[in-house]
Amino acid sequence: MINKELSEIVEQLFGDSSEPILKSNWHPRADIYRYRKGWLIKLELAGVRQDDIEVNVSGTILKIEGKRRDLVAKDASEAYKMEISYNRFERVIELPEKLEDAKIVMDFNQGMLLIHLHCKK
Amino acid sequence: MSMNEEKKIQETKLPAIPLRNSLLYPNLTIPISVGRADSQAAIEAALASEDKLVGIFAQRDATVESPKIEDLYSIGSVGVIRRMHRHENMIHMMVQGVQRIERIDIVQRSPYISLKVRYLPDPDDSGSEIEALQRSMLELGHKVLALSAFEIGLDLDKLISGLRLPIHQAYVLASLLSIDISKHQALLSAQTQHQALELIIEYLNHEVQILELQTKIASTTQSKMDKQQREFLLRQQLRTIQEELGESSPEQADVVELRKKSEEADIPDFVVKEVEKELARLERMSAASPDYQLTRTHLDLVIELPWNKSTQDVYDLDHSRKTLDHDHFDLEDVKERIVEHLAVMKLNPEAKSPIICFVGPPGVGKTSLGQSISRALGRKFERMSLGGLHDEAELRGHRRTYIGAMPGRIIEAIHRVGVNNPLLMLDEVDKLGRDFRGDPAAALMEILDPEQNSEFHDNYLDLPFDLSDVFFIVTANTLDTIPTPLLDRLEVIHLSGYSDEEKKEIAIRYLIDRNVKESGLSLEQLTIPDETLYSIIHKYTRESGVRQLERTIGKLARKIAMRVAQGNQEKVTIKKEDLIDLLGPPKFTMEEARESLPPGVAAGLAWTQVGGVVIYVESALLPEGKELMLTGQLGDIMQESAKAAQSYLWSHADQLQLNKDKISKSGVHIHVPAGATPKDGPSAGVTMVTSLASLYLNSAARLDTAMTGEITLTGLVLPVGGIKEKVLAAHRAGIYRVILPKSNENDLRDLPKHVLDKMKFVFAERVEEVLAQAIPTVQILNKVA
Repeated sequence: MINKELSEIVEQLFGDSSEPILKSNWHPRADIYRYRKGWLIKLELAGVRQDDIEVNVSGTILKIEGKRRDLVAKDASEAYKMEISYNRFERVIELPEKLEDAKIVMDFNQGMLLIHLHCKK
Repeated sequence: MSMNEEKKIQETKLPAIPLRNSLLYPNLTIPISVGRADSQAAIEAALASEDKLVGIFAQRDATVESPKIEDLYSIGSVGVIRRMHRHENMIHMMVQGVQRIERIDIVQRSPYISLKVRYLPDPDDSGSEIEALQRSMLELGHKVLALSAFEIGLDLDKLISGLRLPIHQAYVLASLLSIDISKHQALLSAQTQHQALELIIEYLNHEVQILELQTKIASTTQSKMDKQQREFLLRQQLRTIQEELGESSPEQADVVELRKKSEEADIPDFVVKEVEKELARLERMSAASPDYQLTRTHLDLVIELPWNKSTQDVYDLDHSRKTLDHDHFDLEDVKERIVEHLAVMKLNPEAKSPIICFVGPPGVGKTSLGQSISRALGRKFERMSLGGLHDEAELRGHRRTYIGAMPGRIIEAIHRVGVNNPLLMLDEVDKLGRDFRGDPAAALMEILDPEQNSEFHDNYLDLPFDLSDVFFIVTANTLDTIPTPLLDRLEVIHLSGYSDEEKKEIAIRYLIDRNVKESGLSLEQLTIPDETLYSIIHKYTRESGVRQLERTIGKLARKIAMRVAQGNQEKVTIKKEDLIDLLGPPKFTMEEARESLPPGVAAGLAWTQVGGVVIYVESALLPEGKELMLTGQLGDIMQESAKAAQSYLWSHADQLQLNKDKISKSGVHIHVPAGATPKDGPSAGVTMVTSLASLYLNSAARLDTAMTGEITLTGLVLPVGGIKEKVLAAHRAGIYRVILPKSNENDLRDLPKHVLDKMKFVFAERVEEVLAQAIPTVQILNKVA
């Protein structure tokens, strides 16, 4: 028989995500703005070191992946509640135009990653 | 540091927790609750690290409470703790599987388990075979989801869309199945995609089979229900068609017939109501239903019972008397009482019918007397034997809820007779049994109580039936075993045994006639003179009734019939001497009086179930010092009267001129034949005294005298029962002088005249009088003060 409980949790957690629902990584939330000459993608990546972020482009797909390390945790404390996802994350964003020639500029400000895509046209 | 580089890290140190009955697959998130201290410590360590990784290993045996590292499978998964919170000493968390790991070394066992593990890379074997396996896996997966009644709108395609490797899809499918942990572990440990896919296909196949079987079971039940419904519908349609055609179904024919019968029958209103109700039920029932037959039989009974049907009584006393006389010889007082009852019933028809109980030994004609009364009254006769009946339900019926329920015997008998005022004879009421199923005697009380039986309730009939017009006659051999409350309701009439004279008369009037005819002879061909009959009665039968006598006459008739049939003889007269040839040597001889009596022997009279008998009490002297010895199966009361007899003689030795030394020094043995028959009762007292006195005096008692009576220590003679039978026995044995207690004088009135004429009676009030009459040589001095 189906393991009902588990399936329900799966559904609950990831049910309304547009992302593939089973992946070992967490997905940061993203806002996407369109400009006349390109795109601005804003990602919620608080607590992630800029060194740990990697952005790749292929075709119309922009892929952001990386890792959030918990730097605050200390041995002396006892964890009571934890809601923030750590470790590897991944976000795949498909845009309606080719991005291979675009110029990518990244800006990391107050926990927000801003990716500017300047498309040549 | 890039992701790829990180993946190359082959070995690492990890805190680890054991899981009972489940494991973590890569890419899947499961809820885990942790209570054990070492596991909580491991979680703490993981949360304190920057990447929140923890090793998850399944326990081999779920029943182990605190598993050691060795109790865990060596292959597990590493997971990221996504959410956690503490609640009541437990840590609840969601853990997402990352990759498979293998334990290669133990770092520490406490305060929490920490292991050195090796990351196991995802297998990447591929090819068309893998593709084929993947397809059948997905096909089976869809089938399982379709078959299971599980509805959360789980979309398998969406679920696995982000998973590149078939093996990862296999993990997802496996997580949806509830299979043994060992099977999960086998899948997790699979080295190649090929191996993993084969495993998951096996699991899925098994699941499909089970689900299909379940569906089949469910649908079989469904189709059975459907069949019944279909039958019902068809039956309904059949009924409609038959109605249209003006035909009626077999059930309806039944109902119509029953209704017609019930209208024709004379039934009181409260029964009509019940019948209508039942008929309405019957109409709605199908003939195939088990209730149908039950209701039908019950209705049949209700309608056929003679609720208001009775026969007209004939209250012609002359006719009644003649009928009784015709059927039975003698039994004067019995007939008298029956005619008295009839007279009362004639004068007051409203009077309750008496409940007569005939008590007497077997074969005296109790049952045939009942038949004869029914003829005299013009009532229908029905009899039933209650002998050995031990179930109350036999009398009062079973409730209709029982399979094979029947009305009780009373209602059954009324049904059979067809009138509500028959003469109902209940035979052998003294032989009613009684056990855990109830006490039929108690049920009989209701039936036989004229105050209660107008509303007799039979469990099967379930309607009150009036038994108050039924003339009940019960018969019994003895009153001893009839419960007092029951006896209280009965009008007891004693039928004692017949005398030889009466037996002879009965033989001449009824038995010879009947048996000769039965054997095919005519009355002229066989003559049995009185002398022969007496011989048969004395030497070939011993009974108070006439059954043996009838059998013996029947035997004679058959022997003669054989001779006639062989053509040897035409006409036969059986002489007394012929009996040995025809019937063999005499069966009973003991009855006759002894030829002579030595000192120490006296003739007594005793009462038995089969009538009176003559018994001889014998006594003999024993050597000095022996105590009183009693033999012959004597009961307690009889033994006591022997002791009383001895004590009386000792205390009256002077008066009787007995030798006191002889009495005090020598012992005495008293024997009462026949030794094999148990005897009891006080009535042998006088006989014992006489026997002992005769012994001590060394002087014989009179040969022609028999006696009966109870004695006291001071020498009083008290009355006893069964005088009629005892006197008849003496008469039969040829002893014509009888000593009786004075108080029994009145009992002689019961005896036939011809017996009284021949007998001589001596009535005694004291033992001395008995001795004076019984032993010729005894000399009694006046009472010594």
